[in-house]
Amino acid sequence: MHRSIAIVGAGPAGMAAAIEAVRRRCRVTLIDEAERPGGQIYRQAHPALAGEEHAERAELARKHALIERFERVAGQLDYRAGATAYAAFGNGELHISERGRTEVLRPDATILATGVRELAVPFPGWTLPGVMFAGGAQAILKSQKVLPGARAVVAGCGPLPLVVAAQLLRAGGEVAALALLRPLTGMLAHPMSLWHGREIVRDGFRYAATVRRAGVPRLTGYVAVRAIGTECLEAAVLARVDGAGRVVPGSEREIPCDLLAVNYGFVANSELAAMAGARMRRDPVIGGWIPEVDAWGRTSIPGLFTAGDGAELRGALVAEADGTVVGAAAASPDGAAEASPGSELASAIAQRARHLEFQQVVRSTLRLPMELWRLVTDDTIVCRCESVRFGEIKDALANGHRSLNAVKRNVRSGMGWCGGRTCLHAIASLVELSTGSAPTEMMTPRPMARPVSFAALARRSPT
Amino acid sequence: MSSAKFDVLIIGAGAYGLSCAWWMAKRRTGARILVVDEGEFASGASGRNGAGFRMQWGLDLNIRLCQESIRFFETAAEQLDYPRGIELKQDGYLVLAHSPKALATLRSSLEIQHRYGVPSELLDADDCVKMVPALGRNRLAGGTFCGKDGTISPFLLLDSLLKACRREKVDVRYGTRVEKLARANGSFCATVKDGTIEADKVLLCTDWAVPELLASLGFTLPVKSLPKEAIVTVPCAPKVRPILISLEHHISVNQVARGSIIFVVSRAREGTEIVSTPDFLGFAAPKIIDLLPGVADVQVLRTWGGVSSLTPDMQPILGASEVEGLYVAVSSFRGLMTSPAVGRIMSALILENDTNDPVLTQLTPRRFQTGDLIVEPLLNQE
Repeated sequence: MHRSIAIVGAGPAGMAAAIEAVRRRCRVTLIDEAERPGGQIYRQAHPALAGEEHAERAELARKHALIERFERVAGQLDYRAGATAYAAFGNGELHISERGRTEVLRPDATILATGVRELAVPFPGWTLPGVMFAGGAQAILKSQKVLPGARAVVAGCGPLPLVVAAQLLRAGGEVAALALLRPLTGMLAHPMSLWHGREIVRDGFRYAATVRRAGVPRLTGYVAVRAIGTECLEAAVLARVDGAGRVVPGSEREIPCDLLAVNYGFVANSELAAMAGARMRRDPVIGGWIPEVDAWGRTSIPGLFTAGDGAELRGALVAEADGTVVGAAAASPDGAAEASPGSELASAIAQRARHLEFQQVVRSTLRLPMELWRLVTDDTIVCRCESVRFGEIKDALANGHRSLNAVKRNVRSGMGWCGGRTCLHAIASLVELSTGSAPTEMMTPRPMARPVSFAALARRSPT
Repeated sequence: MSSAKFDVLIIGAGAYGLSCAWWMAKRRTGARILVVDEGEFASGASGRNGAGFRMQWGLDLNIRLCQESIRFFETAAEQLDYPRGIELKQDGYLVLAHSPKALATLRSSLEIQHRYGVPSELLDADDCVKMVPALGRNRLAGGTFCGKDGTISPFLLLDSLLKACRREKVDVRYGTRVEKLARANGSFCATVKDGTIEADKVLLCTDWAVPELLASLGFTLPVKSLPKEAIVTVPCAPKVRPILISLEHHISVNQVARGSIIFVVSRAREGTEIVSTPDFLGFAAPKIIDLLPGVADVQVLRTWGGVSSLTPDMQPILGASEVEGLYVAVSSFRGLMTSPAVGRIMSALILENDTNDPVLTQLTPRRFQTGDLIVEPLLNQE
């Protein structure tokens, strides 16, 4: 009897897991919201859209190699492009919606390869049109092949702002400033780790060269403190912060722009794992609340696995190797595979370990000092769906409501459309900033991970 | 934990617990009142319900409890000194009948409602659909409507009560579970995680969990739990102006000011676990479309679980228990909408031994021994 495996997400981890599980003769159902495989990092534009991709050649080669490998097996699996997994339960059920219908899957194993979203540190004006996540700006370039703004300021920490600044330039945009909380050159202190991540480092140097050649002012130790505009963004205000993350008075600089692209790292898309009841832990640098998993990607719920960045932020190359490892584990009844020397599995395990060395150094650029959260002023909106300002959250905290659930019941933060996807981590950090201790529990995860109509819920496909 | 002795210990900080505490503090300045709750703010049944209130009942006691409470809601912002208000909305409540028999029951309840001045009226199916075009006509026989009924925000009512209680020096402690109650030297001793609490009198406001605490004293009360689940949709254009309840579908519907529609669905199932069950949406969606075809394309945003209490005659239990000094207030799924009146009545009973309110005779815990169960026509249709 071949095992049935459901995989959620067709990014690097999901594609690799599908390839491996098919190779092991499993019946695989792959669910992905997009029309084409690739996920966020390997996002593909509609084939009819002409235009260059502005990524590094080596990165594009990795992308196309994996997608090609996937396309070769795609006919042997049940690939549901444009479908959404909206709920997962501890009894092993995975509920999906697809083109106006719903279906309940009861696979032998489920692999959540749901990736990450970007982390926001809210600041005054961040809800103005023209302010967006750096990865969001990049997604517009990748999928629509249009510039999200004519004159951009890119800010944040970690490697993504640099990459996005370079790609905006290559697409013909102007970048008025690149502001980074910490210099990426800090990574040079770890040559061995850089060697482990040499493929990525090489791409990084090329992106840096693009930015340098264009003469983009690089402001290291600066962050975006304010976005200015009436109807939409007119200027970004950058300011220097000290080592503790405090804004240095008098260091503000106002830069006219129509795009402010910001990235402060990533938060795992871990809603489905949490909803199913998997034991979770919080680590702000590698994804906020993430499921506790072992080396095979097993969560505390039998039959429920996670792979890739959704399990822990490690980048596309680790995600791909991790997908192979977890795909192999989920394919075997005991949830762990045998890695004979020289096998593809053994090489995936080695790849994963090697790139993880490099990721440790990347992480050092993503750690946010607690004081940085003081960018959030009392009247800054933290929860965009319900327009909840930090001042209201502070009032609830002052009244003794310390948990995220209690804050939510007081001010509705996290009750809106996104269910806390955008703001939960920020609120947790603001609770820690205000009270001195981080909330121990996440907001109670509830169905659904995505909205579905009553009509679709009533039109249930037989399983 | 402080070893000070309290005049009254209230267990449960939901709408009943906080309302009783506030009324007691108002009634007797300086009374030492402690409210404990095992959960967090609004984490129990009061924070999970559909937020509706109505005077449309078939029994005098329910009508009176709700009328008094609605008058309180109308002035809650001033009475509780809560300028933000409790999002009172009086767009009316439409009680739907899906059979001639159910309509006959609704019609007969109008008589007593009118006797108490409830401005309710009988509607035929056409009137109902005119009022709520999203309604379906499947089996729809008609309904009754009262324009003074409506909704409040449970969170804001609880927050206003909590703040008012604390202003009156009521001690409210969350995350404090009473493991055991014992009688000692004419007063009560409650065992909590980090010690004991002593009080002269105890009021149990833990609703469906009341039997658990009574058992530690060797007594029983026939209170069961009724698990429910609720749905909230993404905000949409106004589709359901009055609140709806369908007795046949076991569904109540409330579109709140921000446009989301809230559905509360009862379904017989075992247990007291507050969960979202895997088969819930598959069960509820066809029923909801049958009731309201006009919402078929509205998207479900989230679901949550809740539990309400259920007594043998589906009526609240209010009064003194068999143990001297021990009182119970069990809501039987109408805690939020009756909490102001219940707070007033219970505070008078506990602090002044005032037993004059006729409701206390009808809703006494003793009725389950004497067999004087109450019949509420609007709830006994099946």
